[in-house]
Amino acid sequence: MMKNLSVMQKGMVAAVFLTILTVAEYFFAVEIGDDLVRFIGLAVAAVLKAALIMEYFMHFTNIFHPSSEAH
Amino acid sequence: MSTASASTAHVGASHRLDRLRVNRVGLWLFFFSESLIFGLLLSSRFFLEGIEREHVDQVLGLGITIILLLSSLTAFTAETAIRNGNRALCQWMLLATILLGTIFAVGVGFEWATAHFGRSTPSDLVISEPAEGEEAAAGEHGECERARANPDQEVHCVHAPAYGTAFFAMTGTHATHVVSGVIMLVFAWYMVLRGNFSPNSYWGIEGTVKYWHFVDLVWVFFYPALYLVT
Repeated sequence: MMKNLSVMQKGMVAAVFLTILTVAEYFFAVEIGDDLVRFIGLAVAAVLKAALIMEYFMHFTNIFHPSSEAH
Repeated sequence: MSTASASTAHVGASHRLDRLRVNRVGLWLFFFSESLIFGLLLSSRFFLEGIEREHVDQVLGLGITIILLLSSLTAFTAETAIRNGNRALCQWMLLATILLGTIFAVGVGFEWATAHFGRSTPSDLVISEPAEGEEAAAGEHGECERARANPDQEVHCVHAPAYGTAFFAMTGTHATHVVSGVIMLVFAWYMVLRGNFSPNSYWGIEGTVKYWHFVDLVWVFFYPALYLVT
């Protein structure tokens, strides 16, 4: 989905998704009554957010491909 | 002659890439070791309290979370700017990150000042000598319960609620990382100001910004664990 975007644009899109996920997890925690469902939902949201940060902000995969960037 | 210089340039570029690879792997290994500490804190929070939690300021929690998230975006923009040779934008974005990080740290400090976790009555916090004839080890938990039942009575009470222990340990360790990150960002900003980085050499910015993202990454797990579960 984000293949044709520049690094900056990818970061912006990732930031938008992170904001949406953060607000969504807050309302999810407030609205959902079942403890287990809430816990699982929050855990999934946290893992998704972590994956977004690691890939688009921390460029985790670039450890193995540093030549893909000008540095 | 031109072949020789091209070969030298190629070797130089190759050496730079190798060094960059080593730097990055080293930084990620550091993140891994840090993750163990934060992971232990997170697991101890659930071990002590399960999925229960005490009352915390939800608005403050959400507010500082969004601020930290925003600071990650400004840090990312700073790194991208220096990579593209835009030094001025990099400086401004680093300054914005420093400001947002400081606001986050102040927010945590405010939370520390207002959070009580079962020590809501002043009597709960009074530490005095046990009464004459009374054994000091009469049961600190029992004394604390008595203190809550009789807020006016001064009793020997040093019991700290488990959730408070987890909360202060987690937010304290994280806030220490935030403060050290802010200090690193100030150094990075100063070095950009002095013209120390270029599109071909900006590891100092990249490493600092990655560290900042790591701090944000930790909070991604701490925020729901401390503020949202149950």
